[in-house]
Amino acid sequence: MERRFHCTACGKCCSGLLPLTLADAFAHAGRFPLAMVWTPLRQQSKAFDLVRRIGAVVNLSGRKRIAVIIVPTAYIPDSFFCPALNADGRCAIHAEKPLRCRTMPFYPYREERDQADLLTPRKGWDCDTSAVAPVVYRERKIVAREDFDLERRELLAQAPLIRAYAEYMMKYMPQLADKLATAAVHGSGGNVVTSLSSYLTATRQLDIPGFAARQLSVLKNFAARTAGRPDLAEFHRNYAGWAKEMEYLAKRKSASA
Amino acid sequence: MTLCPCGSGRNLEDCCGAVIAGAPAATPEALMRSRYTAFVLGKLDHIDRSNAPEIRDDFNRAEAERSVQECEWQGLEVMQATEDGDIGTVEFMARFNRGGQTFVQHELASFCRRDGAWLYLSGKISPGPPQRRFTKTGRNDPCPCGSGRKYKKCCGA
Repeated sequence: MERRFHCTACGKCCSGLLPLTLADAFAHAGRFPLAMVWTPLRQQSKAFDLVRRIGAVVNLSGRKRIAVIIVPTAYIPDSFFCPALNADGRCAIHAEKPLRCRTMPFYPYREERDQADLLTPRKGWDCDTSAVAPVVYRERKIVAREDFDLERRELLAQAPLIRAYAEYMMKYMPQLADKLATAAVHGSGGNVVTSLSSYLTATRQLDIPGFAARQLSVLKNFAARTAGRPDLAEFHRNYAGWAKEMEYLAKRKSASA
Repeated sequence: MTLCPCGSGRNLEDCCGAVIAGAPAATPEALMRSRYTAFVLGKLDHIDRSNAPEIRDDFNRAEAERSVQECEWQGLEVMQATEDGDIGTVEFMARFNRGGQTFVQHELASFCRRDGAWLYLSGKISPGPPQRRFTKTGRNDPCPCGSGRKYKKCCGA
């Protein structure tokens, strides 16, 4: 089995939620409004085993357990394009783009042998899958695998921090378990969104110089862009609320001072 | 003369105000009330100070500061308070309005006394009623009433 694919730089995929590694999230804190996005997986899901390695297993009520991926994410509405996308539809930060963007169309949150669907362009995307496009996937293996492997390695390396965060949240936000259970029932892609401030507290990283100030600026910008948009009310509420949290963090004196 | 937000009916400065200002809380309940009042008044240093050291770094102060701005506290009801040496519990319900919705925080909070001062240790949200059934009779098991019949044919019918 051979699949052909070539990116035409149409820019259509550069929109909506963008999953990031922890390192990329912090590196781009002056660019993307950040959130922690929790996506539960059903037991029968093909990615279940992988998710147990890169995500966390949490206890719901009644001794039920689910696997969940928890991803630092550029929290951007589907109808908004990436803030780094130029007017001509090209990436303004190509040299330092996040790993997630570099690995496209492949996706290390799924097994390597399960990437075929991702090579079918979504409606409206202009990806070239014709006979002149190069073979990128053969016998369920990725041909040029460097980016995929790099992103997968990062996800595995950061998993202990993700698990520490999950443990903290299960302890201090028990209603999160109910929200995850509801999201799990509602089928694929249902997710729960939590704040970066909770991640910073859980992993004791409250004093990253400049992080809060940069995020504050981005969140204010996105709050302004979503003001008066009833269809984006939840995004707006989150941007405005998290901006208040970052405002506090930006002002506080360093704990080590 | 301001009524204390905790609902004690007393003056703020004689009630939670004193504890927030630094007077030691006499009981776990007094500390719990003062923490409720601290949230109402936005005096979050008091929350920080009255957290046991082992949980101090877990406190998401940024989020709490935001809550002070967004929550309108509507009342506290203390349901039960226990004290046994240097440990104590307080079960309470706190009502608040946020974003036009009313929420009830039902919590069983645990406290410890260290060097004479009560500190907050942990809280169990929405604690259920105490367990009353210790074993569950299976439907095919002999009925507990002693009839010799299966439970499903007898008392479980």
